[in-house]
Amino acid sequence: MRIPVSTAGVAAMPPAATAGLARPGPWRTPVAIVAAALALAFVPALGLPAFYDSLLYLILHWIVLATSWNILSGYTGYFSFGHGAFFGAGIYTSATLMARWDWPFLWTLPVAAAVACVLGVVVGAIVFRVKGIRGEVFALLTLAVTFVLGTIIVNTPIDGGNGVSLAGAAIPRLGPTPSSTFYLLALATAAVTLLVAWGISVSKLGAGLFAIHDDEDAAEVMGVPTYRYKLIALAISCALAGVAGGIHALFLNYVTVGEVFTITVPLTVVLMSVLGGTRHWAGPAVGAVAITLLLYSFTAADFAVAGKALVGVILIAAILFMPDGILPRLQRLWVRRPATPQPAAAAAAPASAAPAMAAAPAPIGGEVLLKARGLAKSFRGVRALGGVDVEVRRGEILGLLGPNGSGKSTFINVVSGHYLPTGGSVMFESRELAGIAAHRIARAGISRTYQIPRPFGHQTVLDNVALAAMFGGGLPNPAVARREAMTWLSFAGLQDKAHALPDALNLHQRKFLELARALASRPRLVLLDEVLCGLTPSEIDDAVALVRRIRDQGSTVVFVEHVMRAVMALTDRVVVFDQGLLLAEGPAAEVMQRPEVMTAYLGQPQRASSATSRPLPSARPEGGHA
Amino acid sequence: MSGFTMPSATLLAQSVASGVFVGALYGLLGLGLSLSWGLLRLINLAHFAFAFLAAYLCYQMATMGMDPLLTLAVIVPLFFAIGAALHAAMMSFRITPFNSLLVTFGLTGIVEALIQSIWTADFRKLESSYGEHNYKVAGLYLPLPELITLGLAAGLSFAVWAVLRYTDLGKALRASAEDAPIAAAFGINQRRNALLLAGTCSALASVAGVCLALGFTLAPSQIYAWIGVVFAAVMLGGLGRALAPLIAGVLIGVSEAVTMAVTAPSWAPLVSFTLLIAILLLRPGRAT
Amino acid sequence: MLEVRDLQVAYGQAQALWGVSFELRERELLCVVGPNGAGKTTLINTLAGVLRPRTGRIVFEGRDITALPPHRYCEAGIAIVPEGRRLFGSMSVLENLEIGSILPAARALRSDSLAAVLALFPALEVKLGQAAGELSGGQQQMVAIGRALMARPRLLLLDEPSLGLSPLIVHEMFGAIRRVNDEGTAVLLVEQNVSMALRVAQRAYVLEEGRMVAEGTPDDLMQRDEIRRAYLGV
Repeated sequence: MRIPVSTAGVAAMPPAATAGLARPGPWRTPVAIVAAALALAFVPALGLPAFYDSLLYLILHWIVLATSWNILSGYTGYFSFGHGAFFGAGIYTSATLMARWDWPFLWTLPVAAAVACVLGVVVGAIVFRVKGIRGEVFALLTLAVTFVLGTIIVNTPIDGGNGVSLAGAAIPRLGPTPSSTFYLLALATAAVTLLVAWGISVSKLGAGLFAIHDDEDAAEVMGVPTYRYKLIALAISCALAGVAGGIHALFLNYVTVGEVFTITVPLTVVLMSVLGGTRHWAGPAVGAVAITLLLYSFTAADFAVAGKALVGVILIAAILFMPDGILPRLQRLWVRRPATPQPAAAAAAPASAAPAMAAAPAPIGGEVLLKARGLAKSFRGVRALGGVDVEVRRGEILGLLGPNGSGKSTFINVVSGHYLPTGGSVMFESRELAGIAAHRIARAGISRTYQIPRPFGHQTVLDNVALAAMFGGGLPNPAVARREAMTWLSFAGLQDKAHALPDALNLHQRKFLELARALASRPRLVLLDEVLCGLTPSEIDDAVALVRRIRDQGSTVVFVEHVMRAVMALTDRVVVFDQGLLLAEGPAAEVMQRPEVMTAYLGQPQRASSATSRPLPSARPEGGHA
Repeated sequence: MSGFTMPSATLLAQSVASGVFVGALYGLLGLGLSLSWGLLRLINLAHFAFAFLAAYLCYQMATMGMDPLLTLAVIVPLFFAIGAALHAAMMSFRITPFNSLLVTFGLTGIVEALIQSIWTADFRKLESSYGEHNYKVAGLYLPLPELITLGLAAGLSFAVWAVLRYTDLGKALRASAEDAPIAAAFGINQRRNALLLAGTCSALASVAGVCLALGFTLAPSQIYAWIGVVFAAVMLGGLGRALAPLIAGVLIGVSEAVTMAVTAPSWAPLVSFTLLIAILLLRPGRAT
Repeated sequence: MLEVRDLQVAYGQAQALWGVSFELRERELLCVVGPNGAGKTTLINTLAGVLRPRTGRIVFEGRDITALPPHRYCEAGIAIVPEGRRLFGSMSVLENLEIGSILPAARALRSDSLAAVLALFPALEVKLGQAAGELSGGQQQMVAIGRALMARPRLLLLDEPSLGLSPLIVHEMFGAIRRVNDEGTAVLLVEQNVSMALRVAQRAYVLEEGRMVAEGTPDDLMQRDEIRRAYLGV
């Protein structure tokens, strides 16, 4: 049986469900890091040969580089091959300040950080705006930036092809020997970097970054401000790399472009992080220690070549056999399955009393909640929506029907912000939504489910729902959000699965997970896209009951469906789309008998059935078919 | 330091010529890479390492007395087999395009280490009779090795283009790249075609390697110098195309050469990388 | 000619077919109708080898083809016209047709097959050199059917050929399908457009939520409640 693991940092132990239990030690990890750093600070006093100081410095140096890289690339999945550029910017900033203007070494470090950070933000601001840039394209683009920067530096007075010599710069005396100074500086930087990486991984920012990694579009629609978060992660990553660069400049004493602006730095940090595990804050550090020790145990000339080959073999083996890295493997051996949080506040029965929604449920036929006017969407000349006018009234369940290709899903995608409309307007509670970024629409009180469930695959069921509570619902941090999430999981009957990963769920449970996620942000309008597709008849009955409960506690529901008996049973009103246009509107039973609707579905002019007139179906869903 | 100097017409023409020659090599190197990325969805960084391995093998055999061009008869089939075998191994793991980048990088390291252990890190230059021939046409010097490279690059690019365009195999490869399940539904044996293609890409790399040996000084560290500019050529031309890498390569080569003539050689990399960035920003869709 | 027994097919996590059994006779034009989400595309894709069933058997011309690798289904004599056409958009119409006849047996007859396809769809003649992705929906459908015919199949599978097409074109399309069947090729057609489908079919099944719920001749079925209930809920 698979042991579920919360991937938001192993040190952030799976939380208790209810408010009462205080978490055993959220501060355990930072305390441990600081304690370890303090202990290691005494190493220079041991009087080891300088070689060890240097080796330890290098290990810490790579810990900083790999961990800082991982903050953007590992957490979000945007693998950057440009870390060398930012590291190099830091090196050259420090070197230039020291060599040209005689700045004291320590004062150059903050400036190095700032320069690298600004450079990163400028690159990110442009690159993250362009929609198609992910994966390999992003990697190559950032690599190109490295070489461009290197070429510019080598050709301008900054380096001029001769390198920068720091022979005259003074090394501050922080420890017994010069090399120990570097060691201590690197130690401090590494400690800070690890603290930052851990801190992000357990914060709301981190949750958002991990969501971007799994499914950026879904994250955006759920309320994560993806552009802003990616930029923040990049800025932090670059600043830390800049500091590492500043320190390294003086360590090297003589800086050249050829050593810095190459493919080596980015590929080494990629290797270290991938080996250790990119989803974990400590993964890159583990990888850094392992690889540095390995490489430098081959420093003797004879083995240098073999060392390079070995690194290659390890990288290949890691990708093929341990694509998640070493750390998650170890985690799976150590972390016990957490006790299922007792749903004390949430009732044990699946149909628990639901928390009251923000607005009290209004009677049906009340005010207009959402008004679409002339809403249109075309894709490269294909008209998916041709200008539809739809009104959704507060408190109702509205069915969205129509044959295949009629524009129903497109309508939902446009209203939720997944697509930008090509024409028309959407007013929600008297606020214009068309053209607004998807994450703002989520914050405004609209949420949706996907026809094929799109949970965040690397996060637990609980965290999936907590994300919605944080970003759509505006809750401030993961702890609070998880409590809220637990309530909604109970509402959907999934409380026992809180710590499972989504692919351990069957389809029925994943659909309910989608529902719980959609509700956790306490939306006023819920858009359901073919929730019932693929379910067995009894599962359909469950789902229908759940949708009713959703409405009963205050949300307005719009749902796209093909399963007719559910439509008959649930909806107050339906609208029928056909070929991108609105065909009919009104109570379900009546609309489905209209000739034009029957034609759209069955394909020939039909008279309203007279020969076999059947009684209208009752409100209860009929028994299942064979 | 950099300064702008307007060169004479002859010098400029010579620069353009050398730009065409080196561009042809970019194109030849890029051909296999582009086919692999566009049609097999694998980004093969090891392409460059294989080219260098072939270059060193050519150097070795030539030093032992064989005619450098004749080494092609041995090298090409050898690398075809290596490429196909490697792909067969990789097919047993389901690798994403991005992971293929990482795996082949690891492979590059291994091959580089292999080269270094056999031939050391010293610079090696193949001295052949070809290098002594230098044709003078209209005041321009056209060395024979470079002409051979140009000829091979153009010939192979056209050959691949013709195969992709006119033969059933070529159509099958293009169809598989566009919609693999439906291609299979019409009987296209994708496994066999993939092996064929992987072998061909390796073989193309090995031909590029022989050209490298003819015209350039070899050193293991040089492997990485070509990666950036060839990727730029591949992406500029669009993936999975046969003539495009050659055209793009020549464009980049000429721009670099002219830049070098007008300013200083060290500015040259700026051209290709800025182009690469510009393309990626403006048309990221071309890369997938 | 084709016998399907207890087919259980899952599409990703979702089970789409729950023990579907039916048979198709030589030279028959069989229709499977059903509403959206019933599993029609899953059924067709399984019969073409694109999807693998979890359990169940497919026996074609006396041969159990269930375990064959995907690219052998065409060789066995089955060709598919997929939902949404799925042409190779960047390739020309002619090239798409040529892909249809890429197997050696079909290749030998390529020029004859091409002539036959153009006789069936004369409008394609001028479009042969154009990229398939640029054609209109109706023309693309013609190319898709042509592509399948180039493979000289003994069984032709069609997945919702009327999707997204105007009624007039649909009419033409079904006429062509009828003609193909008249010349001896068995046809299995799944459709949402019930009236059109039942007009050409000799026999039909009704598929709903992954199960066969009815079977009979077109006249039979139109009288029965299953169809109306399956589609309209009334």
